[in-house]
Amino acid sequence: MLTIKDLKATINEKSILKGLDLDIKPGEVHAIMGPNGSGKSTLANILSGKNGYEIEGEIYFDGTNLNDLKIEERAQKGIFLAFQYPLEIPGVNTNNFLKTSLNSVRKARGEKELDTLTFLKLIKEKAKELNIDEKFLSRQLNVGFSGGEKKKNEILQMKLLEPKLSILDETDSGLDIDALRIVADGVNSYKNKENAFLIITHYQRLLDYIKPDYIHVLSGGKIIKTGNADLGKQLEKTGYENLS
Amino acid sequence: MKQSYDFNIKQIKNLSLEEQNSRQKNLDLFYKSGFPTKQVEDWKFMDLNLILNKNFESISNEVNFESSKELKTIKNFEHNYIYLNNGKIISTSFVYEETNKILIKDFDQKETINPDPSNTLTLLNNALSLGGFSLEVTKNYKLKKPLVIYNYFSKNLKNKILNNKNSIKLNEGSELMLIDYNSGQEQSNFIKNTIDTVSLDENAVLKNILIQESKSNGHFYKYIKSSLKSGSNYESYILSSGLKLNKIEIEINLNKDNSRCSIYSALNLLEDQHQEIKTRINHNSPNCKSYQKIKNVLNDKSRGVYQGKIFVEKIAQKTDAYQLSKALILNDDSEFDAKPELEIYADDVKCSHGSTSGSIDSDAVHYLMTRGIPKKEAVKLLINGFLNEILENITISEVKFFLEKTLERQINEH
Repeated sequence: MLTIKDLKATINEKSILKGLDLDIKPGEVHAIMGPNGSGKSTLANILSGKNGYEIEGEIYFDGTNLNDLKIEERAQKGIFLAFQYPLEIPGVNTNNFLKTSLNSVRKARGEKELDTLTFLKLIKEKAKELNIDEKFLSRQLNVGFSGGEKKKNEILQMKLLEPKLSILDETDSGLDIDALRIVADGVNSYKNKENAFLIITHYQRLLDYIKPDYIHVLSGGKIIKTGNADLGKQLEKTGYENLS
Repeated sequence: MKQSYDFNIKQIKNLSLEEQNSRQKNLDLFYKSGFPTKQVEDWKFMDLNLILNKNFESISNEVNFESSKELKTIKNFEHNYIYLNNGKIISTSFVYEETNKILIKDFDQKETINPDPSNTLTLLNNALSLGGFSLEVTKNYKLKKPLVIYNYFSKNLKNKILNNKNSIKLNEGSELMLIDYNSGQEQSNFIKNTIDTVSLDENAVLKNILIQESKSNGHFYKYIKSSLKSGSNYESYILSSGLKLNKIEIEINLNKDNSRCSIYSALNLLEDQHQEIKTRINHNSPNCKSYQKIKNVLNDKSRGVYQGKIFVEKIAQKTDAYQLSKALILNDDSEFDAKPELEIYADDVKCSHGSTSGSIDSDAVHYLMTRGIPKKEAVKLLINGFLNEILENITISEVKFFLEKTLERQINEH
């Protein structure tokens, strides 16, 4: 589904990624862990299409060179990034945003756009699954939401857009234990043989709830170690410094 | 440039000698200075004389009032209406109201308005004014439905000027939502010069909403002078995007205790459109409140201006006055000017003003695009969010929905 070969990325003449390889197949959950500044979020940003990076190497998503796709096309084709810091957008009503987003994606996929009533019914169901109060949906997008509410809103968008590849960029940060469980349940209930996850995190605790098939350690712009779920537990004890 | 004007008082019918003389006096005064230029402080951001010279071969006041168009009413909400063609009443409908509570008639041209001698457009209006309406609501009568003023214009108004006066009086305790609706689509250049006088007695409430239905080559100037008695409330909403040129001057006199006013504006300007809002809020009495929120989005080569003055008299203690202007500049060729002014003589007041202008938040655009929304749509969503905010106090949901759709359409015209 996603193949990254020898990815190098530079921003403002500073080299961040220095030759990263990654291969994600449908049905797999990959976690990327690593110290601060190792390039984890840069990888997420590049996959979502954020401008400002000089990129070398190859990224293929379902056989398409990602470089050829605009930001919105990546989303339409099934890449979803749950932001580390979801933006507050004053004036934009959450429901209106969600409907515009869903219908843009449906349109691009050749599906029928949803009318308001059908959409509202759908969004209410999805919100309920994530224990999101309906009131939030009629408020301005993320404005005045707590950290946990913002993260739940990201997962709501994920479940609504039904992406093939979901990238969760430190979705666990700022979550209390209950919210963490709700988010993890949201992910687990969406997980199937067709889709895949790339989970970027600092901590093992999210991985206690969402069991990864692979854990990669990113350090100095490269993946220096790959292991199974046990690697996370080992890292928790020993830290990153004693690796390699 | 006097020679290109063809202003004729003689063709106005049924004037007494006294009226003729008074009109001629105003016209003579107008001719002394002509249309305002940048040299006049109030017009420093718009050289009207220059603009008119550029866009009009000549200007004449010879206007035919016959109606040619069938009225198409708004279907979104039930309402009363006054149908005006070129500013003159064609028909009215108050089916939702007790009709003896509402007085509506042609404006009595004998009621002159004392012009500010530096404002030559009021002089011209005094000289040439025709048509117009006067509306009065009796004591304690609250209109059940909004009143829409349909402003239609004849097709052939090329190089013409329309001058109208209207007056609105709400007696004690009465309430009205007035929607001033310009149907638009005028292809030819014409000028409309309007003076509205608004008078609110004790505890009266007027909500005044100005809507431009579609793009028009109209060059509009409107002067609104309002006087408020104690406990009354005047709310004004300006959604006039689409006009080629528009200047709205609002003077509000908070003459008695606990009166309050608010002005909200949301404009999305395109092409070479120029819109200007100039306000003067006179806090003439204690415990009054004024609130202004002006929002502009500037596309292409458009220009927006906001001149907002708050004047607080010495006796007007406990004044609470606020003004904020925010602009989104989407093109390097567009321009926004803000000139806030505070003149305060009382010592126990709360007055604040702010003005910001900037470009659209690129991180927000990026965020929306990562959700599959194309850039153009993402920008529209953000513009809509930016402008929409001013509608939050509209309580009638059908009207609010209609205004939201109006804004959406004005944004989509780009």
